[in-house]
Amino acid sequence: MNRRTLLTVLCAATWASAADLPSAESLLDRFVEATGGKQAYAGHQTEVARGTVEMAAMGIKGTLVRYAAEPDHYLVVMEIPGIGRVLSGVKDGVAWELTDLMGARVKSGVERAEALREARFNSYAVWRDLYLKVETTGEEAVDGEDCYKVVMTPAEGSAETVYLSKATGLGVKLTLTASTQMGDLPAEMRFGDYKRFGGVLMPTRLTERSAGQEIVFVLESVEVNAAIPATQFDLPPEVTAARN
Amino acid sequence: MPRLWILLAAAALLRAQSGADLAAFDQVWTTIRDTHWQKDAPGGLDWNAMRAEYRPRVEAAKSTAEARAAMQEMLRRLGQTHFGIVGGYSPSDEGGGSGTTGIDLRVLNNEVVVTAVDPGSPAERAGVRTGWAVRAVNGRALTIPTLPELQLTRAMLARVSGPVGGTLHIAFDKAELDIELAAARGTLAEFGNLPPTRVWYEERRLGGTAYVRFNVFLDILRLIPSFDRTLKACKPCDGLIIDLRGNPGGIGGMAMGMAGFLVNKPNQRLGTMYTRDAALNFVINPRPPVFEGPVAVLLDGTSASTAEIFAGGLQDLGRARIFGTRSAAAALPSILTTLPNGDGFQYAVAGYVSQGGKALEGEGVAPDEEVLRTRQGLLAGQDAVLDAALDWIRKR
Repeated sequence: MNRRTLLTVLCAATWASAADLPSAESLLDRFVEATGGKQAYAGHQTEVARGTVEMAAMGIKGTLVRYAAEPDHYLVVMEIPGIGRVLSGVKDGVAWELTDLMGARVKSGVERAEALREARFNSYAVWRDLYLKVETTGEEAVDGEDCYKVVMTPAEGSAETVYLSKATGLGVKLTLTASTQMGDLPAEMRFGDYKRFGGVLMPTRLTERSAGQEIVFVLESVEVNAAIPATQFDLPPEVTAARN
Repeated sequence: MPRLWILLAAAALLRAQSGADLAAFDQVWTTIRDTHWQKDAPGGLDWNAMRAEYRPRVEAAKSTAEARAAMQEMLRRLGQTHFGIVGGYSPSDEGGGSGTTGIDLRVLNNEVVVTAVDPGSPAERAGVRTGWAVRAVNGRALTIPTLPELQLTRAMLARVSGPVGGTLHIAFDKAELDIELAAARGTLAEFGNLPPTRVWYEERRLGGTAYVRFNVFLDILRLIPSFDRTLKACKPCDGLIIDLRGNPGGIGGMAMGMAGFLVNKPNQRLGTMYTRDAALNFVINPRPPVFEGPVAVLLDGTSASTAEIFAGGLQDLGRARIFGTRSAAAALPSILTTLPNGDGFQYAVAGYVSQGGKALEGEGVAPDEEVLRTRQGLLAGQDAVLDAALDWIRKR
């Protein structure tokens, strides 16, 4: 049997079983329900999450604060010893980044589109607004947990594959190719330690693997509907200068 | 106190350490299997065969030093820089940890010659001058082994260092002096698992030209603002000279971050790093106000890694002219981590190709103008490489 024949057989097998799989829409809706339901998400207008970021292999650990507000205001501030500030944000459709190491820049193209999706407040609850097409493509165990694989294709950027637990409906893993300034970067994220904040279950541990590195983000607290000054999301002067 | 416990429990430790050495080997072997950018054959080697050959040697080793030597041998067979075991490494150790006289030196025409004397250093106070040749240290003649310039210079510098507070009796050809050993100049900087390292930044004006020199690409929060201030103060000035001779590299991202002060066009690249999964471009973000004047970079065979990435990329972009001699050709992005037996393990995670298509590893950065320092020039207080760069800037 040559490789093409084998591939055809495997695809056929996948196709045959895919017909029996639950629809991607139902799985994503189940995820929203499992994490608290639309009403719980609707109760969130702002979030301030605090935690840590760690690259254990390199002995690097810092802090992070993520500010988010409706409809799409977003700011992440990381302070990492030896590296300094790493800021990224979105406001009024402008996606930007500012670091002590590399300076300021404004994102464009696919990278900007990905940043805008990430900035969309309560993005899980509004997945229909963010993805043109969703499809259940198979089943796979992740660390012994049986999951459905759902491929989500946005209008701009590459498709993302989310692994949703059959038992709980929660997201366990996400694979994607991230568009970065340095190039397209295949990445895998694992979600764990779900905790409830303001009625919504959120993963408080996110392990990202890409380019042979592992970064662990841990959320220690999430303050829901905290008062965030409108100016918090303003573009820093360096970003404004880079934009001009 | 932990050392005392080690003495008392020596027998138990031997067994435990053997296990730790084996665990260290497994971590080293697995890391390279899982991260080396040449996925099928790291360094062209059958990696499973390497495990079969070296694991039994580590298992049978009678000491950590013996186990370490076996692992070092395996890593050397990769034939690539930035792979190595650092014995007895602890992240809390101060880098170098030893005292220095404050002299820099190179082997020129088979002589160990003083090429620089740190301002305020014991060597300066003792009256050491550039151009002097070192003949012996503490009565032992200085023999010159056959090594590439980077390793050779490090070996020679090691001979003129020792514990802080000690004294060396150095026989120069011009004088015999007792010189005390002091802490290296600069400020201690920390970055992850790297040992704390002293970082210094030096700037001065040479007529209408700004000159900067720094010993390593570390300490982002001090070095990058210092570079920014130098350039902002350089208005008006004829040009900029960046002296990277003796600079062994450091944080790769700093090459992009510092180039941002010199390149005004967005999306320019210094080069591309090739990991197993991705090709990552070293993109420069312009950092206004960008310095627009001519830039000269000084290199020699001890300029390595990030220094080569920075210089080679700017050369390829036509933004800098390189003076001196070919760089060390040791430019692989790497990580330093700790092993279960307490050793440090440095491993490269990617290949790197400069914007012009050169693989800096093994090739290095060739100067646009090759200029050799001579002992006679140094004795006369001249630096032929610096003079050539100044001359080029003046002519522009």
